[in-house]
Amino acid sequence: MPSEYFENDLPLDGIKIVETAQGVSGPYAAKLLGSLGAEIIKVELPEGDWSRKAPPFLSETNHTESSALYLYNNTGKKSVVIDWRNSEGLHDLKNLIKSADVFIEDWDRSARTKWNLNSEIFLEDNPQLIELCITPFGLYGPYSNYKSSPLIQLALGGILNLVGNPEQEPLMLPGNQPDYLTGINGSNSIQIALWDRDFFGESGKFLELTMMETLANLHQAPLDMGGVIRQRSGHRQSPLSSNGFPPGVCTVSAKDGYMTFGGGSPVIWEQLCLMLGRLDLLEDDRFDNVFENPESGLIVDQIMESWMAEKTREEVFEEASSIWMLPVSPVKKINEILEDKQYASRHAFQKITHPVAGEATYPSPTFTANGEKLEVSRSPMLGEHTKEYIW
Amino acid sequence: MPAVDTVSSGALRHLRVIDLTRVWAGPLGTRTLADFGAEVIKVSDPRIPLSRVGKINDKLNRNKLNIALRLDKPEGRDVFLDLVSVGDVVIENFRPRVMRNLDITYEKLLEVNPNLLMCSMPGFGLAGPYSEYPAFGSTAEAMSGINSMIGYVPDRPLQTGLSYADPISGLNLVNVILAFARRRSITGKGNFIDLALADSPLGTLGEFFVANSATGYKQDPNGNRHSQYTPHGAFRCFGDDQWIAISITNHFQWEQLKDKVNDSRLESPEYEDISGRKANEETINRILEEWTSSRDAAELMEELQHQGIPAAKVSNNLDVLNDPHLNKREYFSFLKSSVKDIEKYDGQAIPGNQKERSKWFPMRNLGEDSSSIVMEYLGYSKYKYLSLLKQGVIS
Repeated sequence: MPSEYFENDLPLDGIKIVETAQGVSGPYAAKLLGSLGAEIIKVELPEGDWSRKAPPFLSETNHTESSALYLYNNTGKKSVVIDWRNSEGLHDLKNLIKSADVFIEDWDRSARTKWNLNSEIFLEDNPQLIELCITPFGLYGPYSNYKSSPLIQLALGGILNLVGNPEQEPLMLPGNQPDYLTGINGSNSIQIALWDRDFFGESGKFLELTMMETLANLHQAPLDMGGVIRQRSGHRQSPLSSNGFPPGVCTVSAKDGYMTFGGGSPVIWEQLCLMLGRLDLLEDDRFDNVFENPESGLIVDQIMESWMAEKTREEVFEEASSIWMLPVSPVKKINEILEDKQYASRHAFQKITHPVAGEATYPSPTFTANGEKLEVSRSPMLGEHTKEYIW
Repeated sequence: MPAVDTVSSGALRHLRVIDLTRVWAGPLGTRTLADFGAEVIKVSDPRIPLSRVGKINDKLNRNKLNIALRLDKPEGRDVFLDLVSVGDVVIENFRPRVMRNLDITYEKLLEVNPNLLMCSMPGFGLAGPYSEYPAFGSTAEAMSGINSMIGYVPDRPLQTGLSYADPISGLNLVNVILAFARRRSITGKGNFIDLALADSPLGTLGEFFVANSATGYKQDPNGNRHSQYTPHGAFRCFGDDQWIAISITNHFQWEQLKDKVNDSRLESPEYEDISGRKANEETINRILEEWTSSRDAAELMEELQHQGIPAAKVSNNLDVLNDPHLNKREYFSFLKSSVKDIEKYDGQAIPGNQKERSKWFPMRNLGEDSSSIVMEYLGYSKYKYLSLLKQGVIS
């Protein structure tokens, strides 16, 4: 282990990572590793990572340096432009990777065929290298040539089918959720391989991570569910078995917006009835299972909504949480979260200034270590660091 | 030694994790560590049976040992402190006051293990105005903003229905434990991590915060519509609750789709460019659904993908279990329980040096490893073990 490890304080100090992956999954993996101390060299083609062209933009005029998606996913990195599609560029890329610990790429089967990139060409020059290939479906199997998008991933991963109203179109999660989830698993894959290499003397390796497997792993119940098909339930929590939940586990309206009530246990249902002043509901067995008696769910929704009609979300949140010990939360909008006192007290966000995009508020790494949030620095401009790495 | 092998294979072998977590986020994260060979010792309350309803606990607690221990009794707390003294990592997801009441805070645990790595997974964080409020994955997701963007119409947000803050937090737990366990191995320094459920989804919504803070940009619930492209959504297919997702994001894909549908109404010159298609989204969606509604979703996916069109059957849980791609890739795991046949569970999405599959084992029963843990790992005499058993401190 190099001695610099002992002098620095972040877990991945001294680890050098090269990424050619674009968009969200690979770049988010590298961003996470960068916030933990690794040096991240982002290799971009001359036209730049495709996410640079993804709206919304922070600048009205410069649409290469102001995409919110790019700015967020590439904090703390250096940008080096290499056109690895030609032989001179590929030579430069291989040189750069020779001294790296980790290489993150997103070349699927067709890209590998088109550019003649096999899984050995980087490892043969650097046997200690950990190469992570992140693709939607992987390099083999019936879907390995399929086209993807967040909507497609959510559909095949069994998540889309769980979101939305029972009789209506199943709904996607906003933004790029499958890509982010895969990004976290990307960081996990790399850290496990580094552990193996650095503490057990294993060599480097080529690792293949897929979005579809990441999503398939995130169902709460076993997929067979005793032969039951899990149903989407709109503003309610989707049942995990044929038993379902009691009423009151739902998203319903207060005076100034919506509230989500969690639950599922008899104790919570009792507390809810106490809060509503409706202990009579406990005596009525229609309310034991909202999925067997959908009417009962609607009745309780109405009782809750009239109880909250003159109360703000903040008032309901405080009363239900602190007096009745109910798991409950306001449905907050993005702008409201930026003003929220709990998030502010945790320093959940930080302001970062970019020379073109200006100042914006970014989520910090999502944990505190010994009470501190780790800081990240701005994302790079296209090719800003090319001269430092390529002569 | 316990009757199962927790030490001989996988990249994380020799990492010993004391796991106090319950429900989903915590157990999902510690399961991942266990799948890679970490020795995860799940600490359960002897009074609370491990529910087998829906096999949710079975799914999330494979490859972990189980000790049943009364933390609320002084003798049980002493056993726990001994366990912590031989562990590397402690993870818990109680409400903050529970750990204080049990007097097993990080400061206390440092007295028996000065370089302990510990992670707490509270709902909203260990400090701050909401810190004592109860939270679940379903309410933490509401707090984090994701619900405000899900729904059919702008003024009616819906929940994900699947407690989305939990799985993200489970993945984040692995990330942060690996990082600080590495640092601990190198520097000998422990750490205390506060990983709040309500913080995790912020990380997967980053672009929305960046854009909103700078320009006021907002996204209201709007079905599956894409801000620029059409068609983008799920369309009814033949059968009960059968759908196909289609996600057109460039001109080539649109041309290919138009060829397949072969409906003269889609030839309108208005639909030549993106903005024209966006302006006529309802009409295009209706024509498309007329076409998809008599077709089989799985066959249609294959046909459309063959033409380079991003399309996918909307799979339910059983479809995922039987999915030809996942099965071909040998994604699933098969666990042999002692009483029943082999059961098919999800595998491990993270590639690398996992615990050897032949050594994977199903969830252990409540207290199944209590005796071997206290006698072999903690060096208690048989007499001491039996007296703890008799007092009801362990089971």
